[in-house]
Amino acid sequence: MTLSSISSTLSRRPGIRLGLLLAAPLTWLVLVYVVALAALLVTAFWTIDSFTNELERTFTLDNVREITSEALYRTVTLRTLGVALLVTLIDCAIALPVGFYMAKVASRRSRHLLVIAFLMPLWASYLVKALAWRSLLSNGGLLDWAGGLVGLGTPGFGVTAIVLTQAYIWLPYVILPVYAAYERVPDSLLDAAGDLGARPARTFRTVVLPLVVPGLVAGSIFSFSLTMGDYITVNIVGGANQMLGNLVYINSGSNLPLAAAIALIPIAVIMIYLALVRRTGALENL
Amino acid sequence: MRNIPTRHTAGRTIGGAVAALSLITLTACGGDSGSESTGAAEKLGENEGEVSILAWPGYVEDGSTDPEVDWVSGFEKETGCQVTSKVYGTSDEAFNLAKSGEYDVVAASGDLTLRMIAAGQAAEVNTDLIPNYEGIYDFLKDREWNTVDEKNYGIPHGYGANLLMYNTKDVTPAPTSWKAVFEDAPKHKGQVTAYDSPIYIADAAVYLMAHQPDLGIENPYSLDEKQLAAAVDLLKAQRTSVGEYWSDYTKTQASFETGDTVVGTTWQVIANLIDPKKAPVEAILPSEGATGWNDTWMISSKSKSPNCAYAWLNHISDPEVNAQATEYFGEAPNSDKACEFASEGHCETFHAGDEEYAKKIWFWNTPINDCLDGRTDVECTDYQDWTKAWAEIKG
Amino acid sequence: MGPTESPQIQLDAVSKAYGDVMAVDALDLTIGDGEFFSMLGPSGSGKTTVLRLIAGFERADSGTIRLGSEDVTALAPFDRDVTTVFQDYALFPHLNVLDNVAYGLRVRGVSKAERSTRAREALGMVRLDHVAARKPTELSGGQRQRVALARAIVVRPKVLLLDEPLGALDLKLREQMQVELKQIQRELGITFVFVTHDQEEALTLSDRIAVFDSGRIVQLGTPKEIYESPTSQYVADFVGTSNVFDEQVSKRVLKMEGAFALRPEKILLSPLTASAPAGAMTAAGVITESIYIGTGHRVHIELEDGTQLVALEQSRGALHPDAAEPESRGDRVVASWSPGDLVPLGTDSSRAVQHR
Repeated sequence: MTLSSISSTLSRRPGIRLGLLLAAPLTWLVLVYVVALAALLVTAFWTIDSFTNELERTFTLDNVREITSEALYRTVTLRTLGVALLVTLIDCAIALPVGFYMAKVASRRSRHLLVIAFLMPLWASYLVKALAWRSLLSNGGLLDWAGGLVGLGTPGFGVTAIVLTQAYIWLPYVILPVYAAYERVPDSLLDAAGDLGARPARTFRTVVLPLVVPGLVAGSIFSFSLTMGDYITVNIVGGANQMLGNLVYINSGSNLPLAAAIALIPIAVIMIYLALVRRTGALENL
Repeated sequence: MRNIPTRHTAGRTIGGAVAALSLITLTACGGDSGSESTGAAEKLGENEGEVSILAWPGYVEDGSTDPEVDWVSGFEKETGCQVTSKVYGTSDEAFNLAKSGEYDVVAASGDLTLRMIAAGQAAEVNTDLIPNYEGIYDFLKDREWNTVDEKNYGIPHGYGANLLMYNTKDVTPAPTSWKAVFEDAPKHKGQVTAYDSPIYIADAAVYLMAHQPDLGIENPYSLDEKQLAAAVDLLKAQRTSVGEYWSDYTKTQASFETGDTVVGTTWQVIANLIDPKKAPVEAILPSEGATGWNDTWMISSKSKSPNCAYAWLNHISDPEVNAQATEYFGEAPNSDKACEFASEGHCETFHAGDEEYAKKIWFWNTPINDCLDGRTDVECTDYQDWTKAWAEIKG
Repeated sequence: MGPTESPQIQLDAVSKAYGDVMAVDALDLTIGDGEFFSMLGPSGSGKTTVLRLIAGFERADSGTIRLGSEDVTALAPFDRDVTTVFQDYALFPHLNVLDNVAYGLRVRGVSKAERSTRAREALGMVRLDHVAARKPTELSGGQRQRVALARAIVVRPKVLLLDEPLGALDLKLREQMQVELKQIQRELGITFVFVTHDQEEALTLSDRIAVFDSGRIVQLGTPKEIYESPTSQYVADFVGTSNVFDEQVSKRVLKMEGAFALRPEKILLSPLTASAPAGAMTAAGVITESIYIGTGHRVHIELEDGTQLVALEQSRGALHPDAAEPESRGDRVVASWSPGDLVPLGTDSSRAVQHR
């Protein structure tokens, strides 16, 4: 078969062409993504020899029973959920006005500067950002000083610190889709609403917000799920607290099946979150 | 469970992820369990030309980290054994790596050694074939973390204690007991720290041994359910005063320097690193004694280069080399002779050879179901139980 | 009805600049109640800015704007009794057609039942009651345009502003919408201010037209006045096709002083042999191009002195006494016209002659 006959065959058979094109990435996706996830699922139903750390591949519901029945996991799940929701709320509350300002108010020049400013932290290492917050929050740090001016100290290391740091770290992931959503709202819609008698607040509520919701939802999926899985920030600024990620980490060495079972919790929570989001119809507009 | 100063949490967490992944692959390949060791070597043969070593960071330095720090090149020249080394972040990670059988030599802490031996990963070591073994402190020899059924499974390396450190300005009067981080912890609510690992439960057990003799704890690594529960209760009470737990060396150093933490567990090397201008601190060995570590150089039961492995064990126990390595890491060396080669004051600072001091140290050990203290009427809690308990304590 | 008796919109010395560019330059304008008023001009001439100033989307740098008797210069759009049909329609994509149309009533606090009735009424006016439940994306361009119109008129504004509303429609639809717009305006009796760059549209629809150039009105008048009596070369040229004779050409061809415009349809072409009608002005030339345009031919002629001329030859029925074979390229002809058809132009315009 000559090269030209191959290419003419390919041009006549779009199915083969598509298959060849997708073969490599699909293999990769299946192996790395699906298989890893499946391995995680399966592992959750295995157990381990307590001394030699050998996996025992016999089906058991012990791990699932443990994580559903013990108070520890409920407490940590609720804490993780609370932190993730708070982080998402804070990020959305910041992204809504900031995104609006960037897309609809700022001049072209300052818009570009703002986009760069909000993207900049993405270039910095996650660890650097978390450690920077550690020094901000520490005794005698910037927050301690600033808080002292109004008669408050630093919130110190703990849940508040986790929320602040995570809200900071994931903010670009919320601002970007929200900003893009604002960008897609034609200015004429704002004019039209005002023209028909709507005051700015009303215009925002009845016209702009419904159109920005898909971007907000996309951003919240990022901030929510990334916070649900985090454990490094918790280690750095979380004080004595732990979240689900820490439980996975501490168990991953000595009891992988239990770690896998714990990892199912955030997966389940995020599935529920996505299902709720789907019901609002926001996913179709992404 | 320890780090050299340049490492921090990132390395550890990545290590954890790698460990988790490699566990999947390794077990999928079907690890062969059971005892493979067929007695220790009787005599040594010719060196094989290469040896691979799995160790804590800072244990095998060939000058690539710091040109001044090199105790590998000389060994290679002398023995013709080319060294390849890999560092690990946690004992659990090391355990999984060692199972691959790719490593001839493993430097293991006490919370790993017994697992290695039980899993048949460690070969019996004939100490007669290691000339430098003789000079090693007696109190490190034939201990339960390196010797099972009177068989030696490795050579003791350096050792150190988990000390009580406090800020002399804030914590008065100067504490002499672990009470400072337990009963008296509420005095410094939010400014107390503790080591972030299940093995820290042993620290509570050491305290209970002295203060609640009714519990009958004989060995802090050998706790039955009731004893573990008592330790957990103590730690849960402590938890309300803990500002943060630490597992990253630099984190606790910074924490003491800023004043976020004023009292808690530490290592001598951290105490040495803290800038006295930022925070005046003192590190002591409290009256109850303390937990500590004594690492062991082990030979893999699957080693294809046992002769080079023996050569390395002898080399690393050489007083000059041992002094260099333990000083670099920040722990006491394994012999008096090594102290002659160490920098001035090093052995004093780390209390090397001080047998009274060493007696107060409960070296890290692996909690297993068979009680280490010899009890046979009860089943003891194992490391997995401790891991669960630790998560519960943190809540 | 005259604009001055009952002014609905009054602009006094209104200026608006964007940076260095004067978009609107000290503009005075009065638009009467119930008038269909068009603002005509090329893009960038300031007509859309004037519309946005009236709507309140832009603030005037100076001058005053009145709606009825009220000074609205400083009022926001939502406080002005004016609505707009946007060039891109600006329908709310998340609302269905009925909710789009009812939006203005909703923000005015009209009860749910009433606004549904009135919105359906407005949709009926544009003959779209059957699409009330659809989303704007499910409509054709013409339908969207009519929904936008319904949404703007449902609140019964005193003034409706239309910003090139027909620009995106195809010819057939555009002509149909022109008729509908005219009908609706007559029915509602409110003032329409219509912005367009299409002179034919302006001529067809308007009571009066303002022709814009560089932020100023260069001529204001009825369609007939604008078309028949352009006062400047710019207007003559922009509104319809004109032959413009500047002063030099006039001297040469017309033997007259001043600049003049001559509409192509006023020119009669005849063979060299034919005699010119009495009193006609004539010029001989060669046909360089003859383009068939359905209703006739557009014929380009080069006069002997090199001046270009365009004439329009109507196709005529066989009954017409002058029915003749059209001339073709290369033919020598005589162009003739009545001196009365020459429109004297002001001297203000120095623009080059461009045929459209």
